[in-house]
Amino acid sequence: MAHDVIVIGAGVAGLQCGRELLAAGRLPLLLDRSRGVGGRCATRRFEGQPVDYGPLFFHGHVPAFVAALEAVDGPRAAGWPQRIEGSGPACQPDAFAAFEQRRAFADGMTVFPKHLARGLDIKLQTRVDWIEVDADGFGVTDDAGRQYRCRDLVLALALEQSAELLRRLPRSAEVEGALQLLAMFASVPSLTVIAGYPPDAPMPSWDICFPERSLCLQLLACDSSKRRDPKFVTLVGQARPRWSRERLDQPAERWRSEILDAAAALAGNWVRQPLWTHAHCWRYARVDRGNELQQPIVLRFSGGQRLGLAGDIFAAGGGVQAAWLSGQRLAQRLTHED
Amino acid sequence: MAFQLTQLHRLVERDREHECAGIGPSQVCVRIVAVAQLPSRFGDFQIVAFWNNRDQKDHIAIVHGDVVGASDVPTRMHSECLTGDVIGSLRCDCRDQLEAALRKIGALERGILLYLRQEGRGIGLANKIRAYALQDRGLDTVEANLALGFRDDERDYAVAAHMLSSLGVSSVQLMTNNPNKVQQLEQYGITVSARLPHLLPPNPHNRFYLETKARRSGHFIDFSGNPHLQEQSDPVLIEGMAETEPTH
Repeated sequence: MAHDVIVIGAGVAGLQCGRELLAAGRLPLLLDRSRGVGGRCATRRFEGQPVDYGPLFFHGHVPAFVAALEAVDGPRAAGWPQRIEGSGPACQPDAFAAFEQRRAFADGMTVFPKHLARGLDIKLQTRVDWIEVDADGFGVTDDAGRQYRCRDLVLALALEQSAELLRRLPRSAEVEGALQLLAMFASVPSLTVIAGYPPDAPMPSWDICFPERSLCLQLLACDSSKRRDPKFVTLVGQARPRWSRERLDQPAERWRSEILDAAAALAGNWVRQPLWTHAHCWRYARVDRGNELQQPIVLRFSGGQRLGLAGDIFAAGGGVQAAWLSGQRLAQRLTHED
Repeated sequence: MAFQLTQLHRLVERDREHECAGIGPSQVCVRIVAVAQLPSRFGDFQIVAFWNNRDQKDHIAIVHGDVVGASDVPTRMHSECLTGDVIGSLRCDCRDQLEAALRKIGALERGILLYLRQEGRGIGLANKIRAYALQDRGLDTVEANLALGFRDDERDYAVAAHMLSSLGVSSVQLMTNNPNKVQQLEQYGITVSARLPHLLPPNPHNRFYLETKARRSGHFIDFSGNPHLQEQSDPVLIEGMAETEPTH
C-alpha cells in the first residue's frame, strides 16, 4: 500500500509537519528509529524522576510557536531558568534576549513532542537506511528490510542524517544543488553527562551555569530544580563543540569523568561522587547561530512527487523554535503548492 | 558657515515619541532619529537616520533639496548591498544603480534616495555569499536560493512608505524600471505621481546588457560567464536599451 506522505524523523520538526499535514487533510505516516518521539528534545527517567538532557528549556518569540507551547497540558516549571550563573555563551545566544519567552515543564521536555504526536500515525524503532525515487513516488526501506511507498516524502532529521539519505537519490540539478547547499552547513556535537546525587546533596544556588573559562563545559544545569519533590539532586553537563568533537570516538567512560571534574570545579567536590550517571553523545546536537537557512526545501521530481526537508537549520535562529517553524512551513508548502 | 536648522531637523523632535499602528501586515513603524549634512562626490545631501520597530537595522534617507511638504519628489529605493555598493563587486549592478541614482538626484532640484538595510535580499551577508558559492559551482537552483532566503519585499515597501510619509513628502516620482514597485508603494498610502525609468550609463562592466544574446531565461550572463544578479529587484536598463516588461 502506498502512503500519502511519509515523514522520516519524529522530532519536533517532523511532528509539527505531520500535524499540519493531517490538519490539511493529508495522511502522513511518521517513521522514527527511537523508542519514543521528540528526537533531541529528550527526557530520561531515573526511578521516575525526569531529567532533560537535550535542550533544557524551550524559548522563542514567534507567536504561533509560543502558543503551541502554551497548549501543552502538564505542570510548568514556572520561571525556570531563573538563576543564571556565569557569563559564558548560551547554546542559543538569543535564549535570554528581552523579547524571548522561556518555558520549562516539571515532567520534562518530552511533554511537548508527546503533545504534538497525539493523533498521528507513528511507527517507532524504525530506522530508515535507504530511499529511492520511482515513477510517481518514493520507496523507503528500513534496516529490517521492510519497504514502504509514498507519494511525497519528508526528511526531518539532523542536517547530516538528511543529507546522507538525500545522497541515495539520482543527482538531478535540484538534488545536487540541495546537497551542495547542505554541505555548507554543519551541526555541532555535544557530549552530555547526567549525574544523580542524594536529596541532601548541596544543591547549587543556580539553575544553569554558563562557565566563561571552561574549555570543556558549555553549561552545567541543575535539572532537579525543575522538578516537584525530586528524589535526587540531578546535574546535567553539556560539553562545548570543539571539546566534544575531539572525543567523539572515545568510549564514554573516558570523557564522563572529565565532564564530572569540570562540573566539580564549578559546583564543588561533592559532584565527583554521584550515585549514578548516564552519558549521552549528541553527535548532531545543534547548529551554531548564523548557520541557518531561512526556509525548508521542497524538491520536485518528474512524476510530480515532492521531497521536503525540514529541521532546526531550515528556519532563522535555530533551536526548537526553528525546527517547529520549518515543519509547519514545509507542511504548508506541501499542501498549498502544486 | 553658520549652522542652520532645516525643516528636516525639526522632524527629529516631532518623532521623538512617535507611535502609530504601523504600516502593512508586519505593522512597521519608523521614527526619524538624526539628521545631518552629507556633502558627497555626487552632490550636496542631508542624511536622515531612522529607527524602526521591527529590526535593529538603521534605515537611511539621503535627501537633496527641500522635500518636506513637496510633491512629485524624485525618489529611488535602494537595498543595501555591501559587496556591490562598497566593494564594487561585478556580480551585481548595485554600485552602478546607486551611483546613477545619487548623481541624478544631486543634479535635480530635490530628491530622495532611501537606503534600505536589507543586505543580500534580506538574507544576511553570510547566506548571500553562500548563494554566490553555489553559483561558483554552477549550481543556481531555485530551491537552494529559496532556502537561503528571499527579500521580504512586503516589509521593504512598508518601511519605505513610512519613511516617505515621515519625511512629509506629499507625492513622489518613483525612479524604477519595475512598475510593480509603484503599485506596492501606493498600496501603503504613498501617492506616486509618475514613474521615472532608471537608466544607467553604459560602461565596460555592463555592456553585456546591450548584447541581447547574453540573455538566457531572464538571467543576464556576464562576460565571465556568471549570472548577473538583479539584487535591486529592478530590471537593469542601460542608456540605448529598449525598455521591456520585467520578467518577474
